[in-house]
Amino acid sequence: METSVKSKNLDAFRTAAHTIVNPELQKWMDQGGKVMGAWCCYAPEELITAAGLVPFRVRATGSTGTEEADAYVSSINCSFCRHAFNMGLHGEYDFLEAMVWLNNCDHVRRMYDNWWRKVNTPLTKMMSLPKFTGDKQVAWWREELVFLKEALEKHLGITITDDKIREGISIHNEKKRLLRQLFELRKSDNPPITGADSLATAVASTAMPPEEFNKMLKELLEELKDTEGIKDYRKRLLLVGSIFDDPSYVKIMEDIGGLVVADSECFGTRAFAVDVDESIKDPLDALAKFTIKDRQHCPRLFGEYKRRSQYIQDMVKEYKVDGVIGLRMTFCDLWAGEYYMLNLDMKEAGIPFFYMDREYLMAGTAGQVRTRIQAFMETL
Amino acid sequence: MTETSMDDKCLYKLIQERDMIQMMVESFTQSVTEGNNLFEVPTKAFVEHHNELIRRYISGEPFISSYFCCAPEIYTAMDLPWSTFLTPAFTGMLNPDYQDEVDASGQLFATDLCTIIRQAAYYVVADMVPPPTAIIAMMHPCDGINVVHQVMANDKKWKDVPVFGADPPYWADERSLDYYTDQLYEMVAFLEEHTGLKLTEDKLRETCEESNRAYAIWDEYSQTRRAVPCPHGGGMGLQVFGTLSTNLCGKPEGTDWVKDVLEDAEALIKQGKGAVPEEKIRLLWFDVLSLGTTTDLFPWLEEEWGAVIVMDMFGYAPYSQLDTTNMDTMMKSLAARALNDVPMIRQARGLADLFLVDITNIVKEYKIDAVIYPGYMGHKDGTANIGMMREKCRELGVPFTTIGMDFYDDRYTSPDEVKDKLSKWFESMGHTPKSG
Ligand code: SF4
Ligand code: SF4
Repeated sequence: METSVKSKNLDAFRTAAHTIVNPELQKWMDQGGKVMGAWCCYAPEELITAAGLVPFRVRATGSTGTEEADAYVSSINCSFCRHAFNMGLHGEYDFLEAMVWLNNCDHVRRMYDNWWRKVNTPLTKMMSLPKFTGDKQVAWWREELVFLKEALEKHLGITITDDKIREGISIHNEKKRLLRQLFELRKSDNPPITGADSLATAVASTAMPPEEFNKMLKELLEELKDTEGIKDYRKRLLLVGSIFDDPSYVKIMEDIGGLVVADSECFGTRAFAVDVDESIKDPLDALAKFTIKDRQHCPRLFGEYKRRSQYIQDMVKEYKVDGVIGLRMTFCDLWAGEYYMLNLDMKEAGIPFFYMDREYLMAGTAGQVRTRIQAFMETL
Repeated sequence: MTETSMDDKCLYKLIQERDMIQMMVESFTQSVTEGNNLFEVPTKAFVEHHNELIRRYISGEPFISSYFCCAPEIYTAMDLPWSTFLTPAFTGMLNPDYQDEVDASGQLFATDLCTIIRQAAYYVVADMVPPPTAIIAMMHPCDGINVVHQVMANDKKWKDVPVFGADPPYWADERSLDYYTDQLYEMVAFLEEHTGLKLTEDKLRETCEESNRAYAIWDEYSQTRRAVPCPHGGGMGLQVFGTLSTNLCGKPEGTDWVKDVLEDAEALIKQGKGAVPEEKIRLLWFDVLSLGTTTDLFPWLEEEWGAVIVMDMFGYAPYSQLDTTNMDTMMKSLAARALNDVPMIRQARGLADLFLVDITNIVKEYKIDAVIYPGYMGHKDGTANIGMMREKCRELGVPFTTIGMDFYDDRYTSPDEVKDKLSKWFESMGHTPKSG
């Protein structure tokens, strides 16, 4: 199953999803631009942009092993973390000027401790993300944003004005709107773009200078207008989970007739389903409220499960989804509980649901993934 | 309803637990220091506490679900019994069908989820834990604990039980303390609203003062373990911590009891007696302990290798005193304890540095010969620090090893494998076993 349009921008997005440093990012750096890594989609990309850096969501694309990282962490740590840390130890993230972590899970929290000790990233910063979503947590997060802002100002010798932050918000809101536009095309019976290419585009949005990405995505949206939609699929699928950045995984599903039309993933819609409210006068207030209250949450946030489940159920209707697939990273406790609850909810709602564990790298497990997804699709 | 209404699965389980706790602590007693009755008081306290829970469950009076890291002095001061949702999982281990139950829970939750969390969640969803009046959700130090509370809060039978969770910050600075103090105030308001009980400043002060007395003695007791030979075997630190932060938290009986423990240790030191006749290796066990470790592994270490767990993660704390000047100082120092003192929470919640600081201090202060990080499968954060801990121990000049075990499911790494691994490690250090 393929997206029929021939688009150089889509090719560029595919390249971005299959590499760490893509040509657009390289060009930015060649011109003296700096890049800041972020270990989770809760990191404030708007603030990073306001500081004049390109936000880059950390992945371990292209990793082939974890030998060096294994001297520091254990085999019961999330394979995404192990591969990404291994790449850091190998110097593959030396292009980063700075990196930000949140205490989002047990594994990531410790990646920070290991990284600042072992990898030479000039500025490393941890942010304390609340576990609840009330007003006090918004206030706390706003302060954390101020600390990040001050650290960037000090490190880069700059001043990040409110206007700059507003500009950052506006650039990323535009990105979110464009991504939503693209993803909504998949509601159609014959979507013009595959799930694999949609994911590649979303991944590219976290790895390119955002204004450049927006320009390219706008062009792609134009190109897709006249594209013939995809007809050769059997079932429409929705994916739910944490870090999932490899379009080849999606391709496996699509090659056996399961068109992925929607998702609730970190690299997917959860990151761009909602805009930062630009009508709020203080841009840091707006960012804090967005992160703690407004955005679509992951299981790290307590008291939000019902909303998370409803989000999926709404998409199932809107996107005419036949089945929901959860892909859980082995050793991820947060998602272990989530899939248990979702399984019950989906049953109650009459939505076919299946979840399987996976490793970050697909290498070696492709056959197993294909077989299990195929078996699920046969039940639909 | 009466105690004889055994068709209520929750009540049946509570009664079963009460009886098992009695057995569990008795078997624990026999394995640690023979000839003393230091375990009688905690056993009775467990049983009495359970009797009170059973009574309240039957009569409909308030009790809550909570944990030792949520300022338990507040519950004592409010005369509010609390059950830990993990108790069924702990006591489950004495049940002959335990492994089957682990498997049953495995079908519901991923098997790599912390076993104790998986078990605890299983008992809740299997309707074997009495729904409390309110839940104080424990939110630190790990993801599993967050997850199990989400499962509880969304469970069919528990979903209408009001939940409050104090939000733990990552940092340990003044701002974080103020934030968490405010969270504790919110917790008190929540408890007052849902239980109808009140927290008064006088009662809190009385409890905090009692808790301070007990902590000061606990501190003294821990220091006796610096003696060579160490007066008590491994497991006593956990017992002291457990008793002072659960059933006898802030209660005079707890203080009297820990005094007995201290006096017993002092008497043994005077007599030059140690936990083993000939102490050869002084160990730091830097992780959780379980019934299996204290009843089987530790005695084996002592008998076979003359190796004594001189200090463990749960016996070691800053033992800080609560400031009882006024309500605010009490709440703030309770917040500080909850974030920075409680074993395991202390190290696992925020920066990894406290793992290293504590290892360094314990190795130096307790004349530790070797450090074991057991690597419990639930502790994903700790196992991601293995490299750091190894480097620190190298720097300190003490051997370090990690096992990779599941304290609550032998099938993960069997007791024989654990012993074999440790034996090889001791041999590599030049020690010989008694049987060799
Ligand atoms: S699952 Fe949550 S915490 Fe983990 S990477 Fe995704 S957004 Fe961040
Ligand atoms: S997949 Fe789970 S364990 Fe891995 S980084 Fe994301 S939240 Fe953490």
